[in-house]
Amino acid sequence: MSMRIDLYFKVLNIVAWIIFIGLAIDTGGYLTNTLWVLLGNTTITSNFWNYINLSDLYQYDLEFFICLTVLLTTIFLFKTILFYLTVSVFQKKKFNLENPFNETIRDFIFNFAFIALAIGLFSYAGKSFCYWLINQGLKMPNLESMKLGGSDIWLFMGITLLIVAKIFKKGIELQSENDLTV
Amino acid sequence: MPIIVNLDVMMAKRKMSLNELSEKVGFTLANLSIFKTGKAKAIRFSTLETICKVLDCQPADFLEFSKD
Repeated sequence: MSMRIDLYFKVLNIVAWIIFIGLAIDTGGYLTNTLWVLLGNTTITSNFWNYINLSDLYQYDLEFFICLTVLLTTIFLFKTILFYLTVSVFQKKKFNLENPFNETIRDFIFNFAFIALAIGLFSYAGKSFCYWLINQGLKMPNLESMKLGGSDIWLFMGITLLIVAKIFKKGIELQSENDLTV
Repeated sequence: MPIIVNLDVMMAKRKMSLNELSEKVGFTLANLSIFKTGKAKAIRFSTLETICKVLDCQPADFLEFSKD
């Protein structure tokens, strides 16, 4: 049983590392592409990171273009931080099923919840911004290609995790009481 | 904490060391030390029973209530 759990954790650790590296590349991609455009290379606006065509937006207004790319970079940065936290918890080896309620895991769940909420809020802002731009008559790439969909899921996950973290806090108290019962 | 643990007094009366008591009651030294120093938050009836049996005393002999 323990060996199987160890195997699960090892597989999860590897998956978390792969996702973390992928997200870090995505964040870097959005950041460098934005900087590249700001430095004067406007040709890549039609073939932005993840093959997004933002040339219409760039020609419409540079400030709106910067606003959207900064928003996208921020969302990916938060996602990267989320998986960095996951990877770091795996590295610290704090997942102890015999003594699961500890401060590290509680902090991890709290941080995870707040970052998930931030991703949800930023994604919602990005989605609303894109809809507004479409209403202005601009041709925008679809939300899925910009990974702006699913803000409601992130918000739901954030709130759920906050509740889980509160329960976890109570669990830590109960465990400490149990540890101090002779 | 208003409950004072006088286990060391009782142990001295019985001329018993903490190691010896822990061997006789079958608890770890760490757990017994938590109890003796008053850091414990709760005590099971079974624990009380065992300690009373080994030290041949009543719970009131090593537990005291103080209003402070």
